[in-house]
Amino acid sequence: MKLSTCFSLGLVALVLGMLIVFQFRVTRHIEQGIPSGRVQELALELRQLEKDKAKLEAEASDLSIKLEQVTRGQTEAEKALKDELAKARLLAGLVPVTGPGIEVTLDNPPQQAREGGPVSLYVIRDEDLLRVVNELRGAGAEALSINGQRIVAHSEIRWAAPFINVNLTRVVPPYHILAIGKPDNLKSALEIPGGLVEYLRDLGVQVKIQSYDRLTIPGYSRTMEFRYAKPVVKG
Amino acid sequence: MGIWLAVAGLALGVLLGLNIPLVLPQVYAKYLSVAALAALDSVFGGIRAAMEDQFDNTVFISGFFSNALLAAGLAFIGERLGIDLYLAAVVAFGVRLFQNLAIIRRYLFRKLK
Repeated sequence: MKLSTCFSLGLVALVLGMLIVFQFRVTRHIEQGIPSGRVQELALELRQLEKDKAKLEAEASDLSIKLEQVTRGQTEAEKALKDELAKARLLAGLVPVTGPGIEVTLDNPPQQAREGGPVSLYVIRDEDLLRVVNELRGAGAEALSINGQRIVAHSEIRWAAPFINVNLTRVVPPYHILAIGKPDNLKSALEIPGGLVEYLRDLGVQVKIQSYDRLTIPGYSRTMEFRYAKPVVKG
Repeated sequence: MGIWLAVAGLALGVLLGLNIPLVLPQVYAKYLSVAALAALDSVFGGIRAAMEDQFDNTVFISGFFSNALLAAGLAFIGERLGIDLYLAAVVAFGVRLFQNLAIIRRYLFRKLK
């Protein structure tokens, strides 16, 4: 036998032995673990699930953003409604208000006659109060009350002899009329020459007007109920 | 003498393989198995050729290595293509292996008679 043949035979046998032993070892190793086909399957499944998970996570974050927007919108709407309600209550005169204004005090003429003057038998009537209130409103008063009764849109000032009813509540002299507005305007509207104060003083009524930087007018305390009036539904 | 040389080489290879602490990753197990099969086929082909007195050293060596590499490469390509192409190698080499074995057996019987 030639030397090269011997050499090649030995080499081939060597490589073959190594290959076979390697294969044995690897096979034994595999049998302990998971078969490679199963591994591939599981890896594929894992990749698919990871993709699904990423997709779902994106969806979840998207939805949470939407939810946040919705709740934000809701709170905004709620806030707007509350603001609107507060504004409506303020305009309706249901809440106490404060601000600069004047106090007009009206009292019946004194029983004793002034020096040299005749005894006035005049008694302040509902019309006098109405005119004062009217004048004040005309001068831009934003809130009015008579003896603690807030004058609102449907308040009445009514003669119920021998008293005057305001908001169905009896008011007695002296009448304190509070008005919130620009004090100078309110005062000058009443004290204009030939105006209401002059007229009342001529009748013997004691009129006192005082300006305040800050006075508080209570809210309307009765319940308002519309039993007959219903809002018109459009469309 | 040739038989004893082969056995000695085989024993040395087994010893080496057992003592190398390297364990191939499982991913390559398939390629290695096909390569081992191809190598085995080449060896039996060589034995047959030797019995027919047609043994050519170059053909034997090149066939051994190219068959092993080709089988492993085929398995690899099959893996990438999604076809179990190594099955083709297994079938082809297996069939040839058994054919070679049958021929070797017949030669042996003829010698013994």
